[in-house]
Amino acid sequence: MRYLARRAVWTVVALLGVSVLIFLLVRLLPGNIVDIIAGTEGQLGREQRAAILREFGLDKPLVVQYFLWLGNMLQGNFGWSFRTSQPVAVLIASRLPITIELALLSVLSVAFVGIPLGVAASVSRSMRVRTLVQVVGVLGLSLPNFWVAVLLIIGASSLFGWLPALIYVTPWADPWVNIQQMFLPVLSLALGLSAVVVRMTRSSMLEVLGQDFIRVARAKGLATRAILLRHALRNALVPIVTVLGLQTGFLLGGVVITEQIFGLPGLGWTLLNGVYQRDYPVVQGTVMVFAVTFVLVNLLVDLLYTYLDPRIRYE
Amino acid sequence: MSDVGAAPVVGALPRGLDPAQVARARFRRTLLGTPVALIGAVLVGIVLVVAVTAPVLAPYSPVAQIAKPLLPPGTTHMLGTDEFGRDELSRLIWGARVSLYVGGLAVLIALGLGATAGVLAGFFGGWVDDVIMRIMDVVLSLPALVLAIAITSVLGPTLTNAMLAIGLVYAPTFARVARGPTLTVVRVPYIEAARSIGASSWRIIARHVLPNVAAPILVQMTVSFSTAILTEAALSFLGLGTQPPTASWGLMLSAARQYMLIDPWIAVLPGFAIALTVLGFNLLGDGLRDLLDPRMRAL
Repeated sequence: MRYLARRAVWTVVALLGVSVLIFLLVRLLPGNIVDIIAGTEGQLGREQRAAILREFGLDKPLVVQYFLWLGNMLQGNFGWSFRTSQPVAVLIASRLPITIELALLSVLSVAFVGIPLGVAASVSRSMRVRTLVQVVGVLGLSLPNFWVAVLLIIGASSLFGWLPALIYVTPWADPWVNIQQMFLPVLSLALGLSAVVVRMTRSSMLEVLGQDFIRVARAKGLATRAILLRHALRNALVPIVTVLGLQTGFLLGGVVITEQIFGLPGLGWTLLNGVYQRDYPVVQGTVMVFAVTFVLVNLLVDLLYTYLDPRIRYE
Repeated sequence: MSDVGAAPVVGALPRGLDPAQVARARFRRTLLGTPVALIGAVLVGIVLVVAVTAPVLAPYSPVAQIAKPLLPPGTTHMLGTDEFGRDELSRLIWGARVSLYVGGLAVLIALGLGATAGVLAGFFGGWVDDVIMRIMDVVLSLPALVLAIAITSVLGPTLTNAMLAIGLVYAPTFARVARGPTLTVVRVPYIEAARSIGASSWRIIARHVLPNVAAPILVQMTVSFSTAILTEAALSFLGLGTQPPTASWGLMLSAARQYMLIDPWIAVLPGFAIALTVLGFNLLGDGLRDLLDPRMRAL
């Protein structure tokens, strides 16, 4: 419990640090923020400038601005878009489900494809399987996912004459169209991750399979299947979950590019549009949401350890 | 795992050999003996040579619009032309330069900031350690690409800023890698001995700490090189890195997206170049890790 409390406190501190970082980053903006807000350069009188600064609270000292921003954010107010005047919180809330769907589907495909493949590969001790898995694992790390996405689009259209609909459809409106739209993006994200997971699963399984209790299980006549799944995999899961957790950062980064390529209007797409239009409240808000997600996933992975392996006790 | 630790191999060597010679022999055996590392070294070597000899090697200028746009591969233009009628092969060759240049400098920035911070944190401990590592943790609380996008969006989308952003984003990794061995070394008796004869902190760091940190840092540099190249490509792909008309693989891939269904070549080739380069550095990094740190042997 004490570990949990400390971990939770540290999570909050890290997020506060991130908020300071994001806040300062945006204050470093080259060029006058007024010009960016108004979308004009040098056409405003002094009074108009002062009015804009006042309106956005930019005439107050930096520290006051930071705490106002933070306080508002904690109350669910992420500010207003410079471009559309829409509340950023509303914008994020409408985009977030798309990203969550994309990320969850990717992680699930990785878990349901990568782990079984890794287990299957662990049964064979042949040099060829070992090399294959190793090569596939390194390839997964090396192929840029935006290139994989482009290849998938080219392949799907030239081999099958098929391309998903361009306007995003929610799973509630039309689940079938939605799944079609998610298929290629999920594939482009999952391929690389699965490769890494296959490699980790195999090596982790091999380590467990070499231990005495496995020999005991075999000796007492348990079916191979039961040994693999109930005894070995359960014990091999900790490093696999670690790798999956470590890949969250790549996944969240990959989401940004994937959404852009496939025109999925999720959080990454919103971030990039914010960047392109210099809409800084939107950039601040989305980056903050990315940070919260990332930190929470890492916390979750930590907690999952004690569940997966009760021997792990945090002091 | 069929780990053959490095130690027994060395122990089996005849006595009286010069340690440097042993080290060199081991280096050759591990790096060139494993096909994986060898392939990595060859790939990296090819990209390096291409990057260095780009002005001689490229048949045309990378930015001159000299032919019809979107020509398929042929005799005058081996790999065809892009959407502005520029020679694709020449652009790919010059792109190697951009990738290695940006990747290299970004890694140096990350190394300079991160390793310095890590060594200082590990060496001085206490509040210095706390402050430095907490700052690094904050940076690590953001997905790397997201932070790099945020930084380039604020600094402005240029090659230099992309480099800076990548360097900043990956500095914490180096800090962690450098801190670990430093922490271990600081507790070793010979450091105490050095201190007791009056060696200054800086001298101890330079003479005793750095040599111990060098090996893991070298491995990390190789691996980071591949991540840095990938990140540069991603940023350029998103229009936040290298700007046109400079030939950068990420930018070429991004521009080719509009034409990928008419002319798949120009979308496939730059990605292939990125993948091969990154693959080379990853394989080399794996090999180096096996060589320098048998405990972390990739399986």
